[in-house]
Amino acid sequence: MQNTPPRSRIEIDRLRKIFLAEGREVVAVDDASFRIDDGEFVALLGPSGCGKSTILNMVATLIAPNGGAIRVDDAPVVPGRPIAQVGYVFQKDTLFPWRTVEGNIGYALELAGVPTGERKTRVAEAIHQAGLDGFDRFYPASLSGGMRQRVSLMRTLIARPEILLMDEPFGALDTHTKLDMHSVLLSLWERERQTVLFVTHDLGEALTLADRIILMSARPGRVKADFKVDFPRPRDAVKLRETPQYAELFSKVWHSLGEEFAKGRSA
Amino acid sequence: MTLFWQIAIGLGALAIWEWGWALHDKVPWLVPDILDPYFVSKPSEIYRQFLRMGCLVSSQGDWTLGTPGAFEKCIGRSENNLWIATYFTLKNTLWGFATGVSSGFVLGLLLGRSDRLSEIFYPYITAFNSIPRIALAPIIILAFGIGDASKIVTAWLVVVFLVFFNTFEGARAVDRDHINAARLLGAGEWQVTRTVIVPSTMAWLFASLTPAVSFSLIGVIVGEFIGAEHGIGRMIIEAEARGEAAGMMVAVFVLMIVGVILAAGVRRIQAYLLRWRPASTMAT
Ligand SMILES: Nc1ncnc2c1ncn2[C@@H]1O[C@H](COP(=O)(O)OP(=O)(O)OP(=O)(O)O)[C@@H](O)[C@H]1O
Ligand SMILES: [Mg+2]
Repeated sequence: MQNTPPRSRIEIDRLRKIFLAEGREVVAVDDASFRIDDGEFVALLGPSGCGKSTILNMVATLIAPNGGAIRVDDAPVVPGRPIAQVGYVFQKDTLFPWRTVEGNIGYALELAGVPTGERKTRVAEAIHQAGLDGFDRFYPASLSGGMRQRVSLMRTLIARPEILLMDEPFGALDTHTKLDMHSVLLSLWERERQTVLFVTHDLGEALTLADRIILMSARPGRVKADFKVDFPRPRDAVKLRETPQYAELFSKVWHSLGEEFAKGRSA
Repeated sequence: MTLFWQIAIGLGALAIWEWGWALHDKVPWLVPDILDPYFVSKPSEIYRQFLRMGCLVSSQGDWTLGTPGAFEKCIGRSENNLWIATYFTLKNTLWGFATGVSSGFVLGLLLGRSDRLSEIFYPYITAFNSIPRIALAPIIILAFGIGDASKIVTAWLVVVFLVFFNTFEGARAVDRDHINAARLLGAGEWQVTRTVIVPSTMAWLFASLTPAVSFSLIGVIVGEFIGAEHGIGRMIIEAEARGEAAGMMVAVFVLMIVGVILAAGVRRIQAYLLRWRPASTMAT
């Protein structure tokens, strides 16, 4: 049997980002390098303020790096030129408050000029997948936090991006809603197997979802360690947490992570 | 309970207005001179005057609506009776409002989204904004004549700045993250403007619509005071020249009704278009 080498989708090479804040230089990302292959679900884990969002924003072309290079599908990333096959789910709620659930989810299709008939079908399907049936005409202001996050997710997924950047999409949710969202995300991902870069500072979340965990150090952010998470798929977000393998890997990563949190506090 | 007090206060005020002056000779310290019917007329007199001015009763005092053709005849006798005047004032107010709102919105959007333009025009806008707009009304009448155009221009002038400043603020306050989200979902420059900047600025525009419609009415009335062929403002000036307090009061009441209807209409449109906002922030 012959093994074709996996195709690289995201490659980050000695990436640096320095912010100027009130005359002071803040090194947010310092020489971070990693590579993500096709179909991989990678969690980027690290203490608050270590530069996770900054890395994601650079990959998404929203901000320009001060050094290093990013390649998506072997093409260099140009700041300000969004890449068609990349979807981004923000840390902050960025739903358009003046659009209904339907309008938000169908937004990308509207921009792309997808005919109304097809758009309606795809939006209805997405609403159903997200478990939002009956909420088509609701405005974001009248939805719960968990529902809003599901709308955000579907708004990005409907364009069928092959690469998905997610920045703590469930960070603001309570434990139960979070577990619920993990099941939703996993079942959606099982179907399409997108390449995912998922930022979180919740170790349990990283272990539940990802194939790999990239651990970042406290600021200035660099890559500290890379863990393989080889729990079998499809996974059950709840049952997985009761297995011994989960407990074992959890404590292993936890120690590494604990050192960074301690550093983050003393810095 | 609230309604009871509202009615009681209303009736009380009307009663003082109607009969208060009769007490003036007996207890002058209790009744201020402003209640003199020579200045403020009386509710009953105002009502009779309204019927006459509105051609609802003929000069003989008969109801016109009972006699075929009487109403039309009465209307035809005057160039600026109550109905024609209301029609002209309303029409010019709406035109001033529409032109002021649309041009103010476009200007606010342009300058709000372009640092360069807003820097260049900043001193001119502040200078213009410091002029009390009404002070320009005589110049406008001189330039545009006593027809409708001058009233519309005066109203436009008062409305456009108000709407401009609101839109400008709104255009600056557009959430960067909404713009980024739209870009990453595939929106081009024009699509970002159309689907993000315009709708989020709308919320600010709407906050200015209710004052804008009142301002527009003020602009039109001032224009009519200075020189007009038709309109409620002219009606007030004519009544004043004849020393007819009742006539002025009728015009003022009609203006009040017009103002209330316009504001209510705008508020309904506003509530519909801003239905996506959570109820707690509907205060504007
Ligand atoms: N626009 C900016 N200007 C100045 N400093 C910034 C800016 N954005 C981020 N920073 C700084 O860069 C560092 C990394 O920020 P970043 O948002 O990437 O952290 P994070 O890892 O995503 O944290 P969290 O988990 O809390 O979201 C922080 O110290 C932050 O203060
Ligand atoms: Mg972050």
